Amino acid sequence: MTDDLDNIEDFEAKETAGKLPIGWLILFWGLIIWGVYYFIAYTPGISGWSQAKAYEESVRK
Amino acid sequence: MSAYQYDHQTIKGFIISSVFWGVVGIIIGLWISIQMWQPSWNVAPYFTFGRLRVVHTNILGFGFGVGAIFGLNYYISMRLTKRPLLFPKLARFHLYLFNTAIALAAVSLFAGMNQSLEYAELEWPLDIGIVVLWIIFAVNLFGTIIKRKEEQMYISLWYIIATVIAVAVLYIVNNLSVPAGLFKSYSLFAGINSANVQWWYGHNVIGFIFSTPILAMFYYFLPKSTGLPIYSHRLSIISLWSLVFAYLWTGAHHLVYTPLPDWIQTLAIVFTIFLIAPSWGSVVNGFYTVAPDWSKMRTNYLTKFFIFAITFYGLQTVQGPTQGLRVVSQLIHYTDWVPGHVHMGTMGWVTMTVCASIYYVIPRIYKTEIYSVKVANSHFYLVLIGQLIFSVSMWITGIQQGALWKAVTPEGTLKYTFMETLVKNYPFWQMRTVGGLIFAAGMLFFVYNIAMTIRSGNAISGPASKGVR
Amino acid sequence: MAGDIYKKPVMFAIVSTAVILIGTAVTMFIPMMTAQMHPRIEALKPFTPLQLAGRDIYQREGCNNCHTQTVRPLRTEVMRYGEYSKAGEFAYDRPFLWGSKRTGPDLARIGKKYPDAWHYRHFENPRKFFQESNMPAYGWLKENNLDPGDVKGHMDVLGFSYSEEEISLLQERNELDALVAYVQVIGTSIPRRRAVRTQGKTTTAEIKNPLAGNQAAIIAGRDLFEENCSDCHGEDAEGDIGPSLIDDVFLYVEGDLADDDYFELINNGTEEGHVEEGRTMKGGMPAFVGDMSREEMWSVISYIRYLKNKQEGKNRDG
Ligand code: HEC
Ligand code: HEC
Ligand code: HEM
Ligand code: HEM
Repeated sequence: MTDDLDNIEDFEAKETAGKLPIGWLILFWGLIIWGVYYFIAYTPGISGWSQAKAYEESVRK
Repeated sequence: MSAYQYDHQTIKGFIISSVFWGVVGIIIGLWISIQMWQPSWNVAPYFTFGRLRVVHTNILGFGFGVGAIFGLNYYISMRLTKRPLLFPKLARFHLYLFNTAIALAAVSLFAGMNQSLEYAELEWPLDIGIVVLWIIFAVNLFGTIIKRKEEQMYISLWYIIATVIAVAVLYIVNNLSVPAGLFKSYSLFAGINSANVQWWYGHNVIGFIFSTPILAMFYYFLPKSTGLPIYSHRLSIISLWSLVFAYLWTGAHHLVYTPLPDWIQTLAIVFTIFLIAPSWGSVVNGFYTVAPDWSKMRTNYLTKFFIFAITFYGLQTVQGPTQGLRVVSQLIHYTDWVPGHVHMGTMGWVTMTVCASIYYVIPRIYKTEIYSVKVANSHFYLVLIGQLIFSVSMWITGIQQGALWKAVTPEGTLKYTFMETLVKNYPFWQMRTVGGLIFAAGMLFFVYNIAMTIRSGNAISGPASKGVR
Repeated sequence: MAGDIYKKPVMFAIVSTAVILIGTAVTMFIPMMTAQMHPRIEALKPFTPLQLAGRDIYQREGCNNCHTQTVRPLRTEVMRYGEYSKAGEFAYDRPFLWGSKRTGPDLARIGKKYPDAWHYRHFENPRKFFQESNMPAYGWLKENNLDPGDVKGHMDVLGFSYSEEEISLLQERNELDALVAYVQVIGTSIPRRRAVRTQGKTTTAEIKNPLAGNQAAIIAGRDLFEENCSDCHGEDAEGDIGPSLIDDVFLYVEGDLADDDYFELINNGTEEGHVEEGRTMKGGMPAFVGDMSREEMWSVISYIRYLKNKQEGKNRDG
């Protein structure tokens, strides 16, 4: 069978070619939303949080 | 048929070279794993831990990993474009240059020529050699694809193209340096900027050597060896683009809590967490592909390899992003947890996929069948057990170490000296050596199986016959 | 439209390149063009020829495979290693040597922590100090002389200034000298900030040793001394890398000091040039604030007093 040519058609299922599992979609969008939150919460220019401040706080305790 | 014969010889050359470097790298891996609990195994000056560790990572990443990538992706491209390579002689030259470069790389690292950039340790003359290698690969690959006899490009080809481009950009930028003699150079970048460039490179070179080209193999060899078609075309498209897009933002997750500006770290963490989705796109696609017929796990020995490999990839791509989070990083960063992560990826995902792909390709090139499925199964279980022992023991000791470093007494002083925390690693480091030995034994079964298959293929010589079983 | 790209390899390659370059530009290229990526602390000095030669050896031997060089801004980490790393400390590092694995301790604040002699002896055989250390021995570096021509060339490439004298002096130095010189300069552009280390500790109300003469404390103190101090001060505190603790000289001035001065010195370590009770330190005594509890420190002091009394007794008798 070595030199039989590959048939591209055989590689991909036809009925499910356009499917996106719902669980995966939730994951995809969920992570994007979380990313927006995290970016806002931990960017010094936006929220004022900074590594150095967090350190000072932890020492003061 | 003979049009392919010459190229097949080249591909076989790459595969055998890759396996050879794999064996060398694993032996060195065992050696450094022993040095970590038995310092008398350091032999100055050439074989101390500091020098050997980079030989281990370079030989396995660039000798074993990249050798397999070149060979198997040449094979995949030929199959998918339905034609031999456009420049067969160039590919052969590529093979010779590859082995020369890796041999010189090993020697130069033993000799201590080291840029101290992780996964870009090689000094500048070798860097030039590596870039030439990738250019040859790119030329041959693009040439062959452009002159293809099949209009549609299958998923694997997308991943290969993206790989070649990314590696070129990454490798060239990170290695920019000012030579100070033939064997020494100083980076063009300094201080925190050099850190940022290095880990932009470092994370992505892992991504574009240990993820995308391996995914190219996965997407090709999984349907070929199971006969089951890939579940969703659309899912693979979205996964590809979001993976390639997001990957490049994430380098700074290796620099959490360093003096790198906070916003770069935060941005990197955002994209790091997002990476779970595109990675799991491939994982889900893999599982759903085999889902219609799980009995293949029993009846087809290669299915096992691919499904376990993609499972480890799935675990790896949840664990990795989690490690990027500040709360997690502060505990596990710099500890042995990270080598645990690394080896689940390299042993569980990369090596399994590569070995399974080689099991598929070698018999086809030699027009025979695999020498022994039994031996392949033993190989499978040994590498699986070896890897699990390795990773699990590193995770345990890594978390322990992180916790001990942070432990304070009620009085507010540190509870443990550094030595006290170091000593607690020793039993786990010994366990890792045991795991490594089991893994190495598994790989010997693999080498034996491939060697015997090649022998029977040579013996038969001639058009396809049944082979021995 | 979109489907076509999977039939056009050149187009596909161009689009992938663009996609790859977006994140690259935002997180790497663009920041590189701004000043925030090129900070420099004023006190930071370029490497001298000897230090640079040492740094080259550090790279050659792959010390960064076991040692990091960044202290993170985390409470316990600062306690263990010292002030957390600042962006401007690394301006002359080409490349940075932060590392990614702490098989050995962080070295970002190693400079001046110990005396040179400690390092020579430690490199010769780390197991002499820490029986269970897995650090390779590097005594063999002594055998290799430096090549002044090479070092000079490297200084030129980096554009660091040097005098011809510094270069010619390298003739008599070996690789171990260079490595020690480099190790001693790491992280020294930031003052050691003894105050931070002291926090919460020497606000002690005790001025007298609560465990003075306590038999159990002396025994405990002996073990602690052997573990933590004898490498530098000698088996019987008679002096070695660090000064004798059983003579009547304290910080190079005749006349002993009280227990609370001992406590403070052990707690905080010493720092070159710092003056305490009119006595000037030379530096090299590490701080034990992170490693020993208050009780342990008092026990060690009781033990030192015990040794001292014994010695004085001997002196009287003989
Ligand atoms: C196998 C890993 C390993 C390598 C390689 C290694 N070290 Fe170490 N190093 C350690 C360990 C573990 C310790 C802690 C125990 C000790 O002091 O020996 C240590 C301690 C040290 C210390 C003392 C730190 C302190 O605060 O007490 C210095 C300085 C040091 N190493 C420098 C170096 C240099 C320079 C090199 C390269 C020439 C090097 N090390 C290579 C593991 C290593
Ligand atoms: C790395 C070597 C080292 C270690 C370990 C060390 N010391 Fe020291 N010690 C020194 C040096 C060097 C000095 C001189 C300090 C100076 O001049 O600034 C010193 C000074 C002292 C002094 C002042 C004594 C005098 O006569 O000048 C005392 C007391 C002392 N050390 C106690 C201790 C105790 C107790 C320990 C163990 C808990 C210890 N040292 C561990 C190196 C060390
Ligand atoms: C018998 C098998 C193996 C053994 C015993 C082994 C052992 C080791 C050891 C001891 C380290 C150093 C860890 C540390 O510094 O704490 C290491 C690092 C590494 N190994 Fe392996 N290894 C093996 C197989 C492999 C394989 C097959 C690959 C890749 C294909 C690989 C890739 C790496 C990489 C990339 C690192 C660097 C990790 C980091 O920087 O954190 N190893 N290995
Ligand atoms: C989405 C996927 C992944 C993400 C986000 C990710 C994330 C990370 C992070 C954050 C670290 C740094 C840990 C630390 O030092 O604290 C790391 C280290 C590492 N990862 Fe992953 N990982 C992923 C997948 C993989 C895969 C598939 C491999 C394949 C082998 C891999 C190999 C490595 C290696 C070799 C290192 C060590 C780097 C070093 O310090 O030298 N990772 N990863």
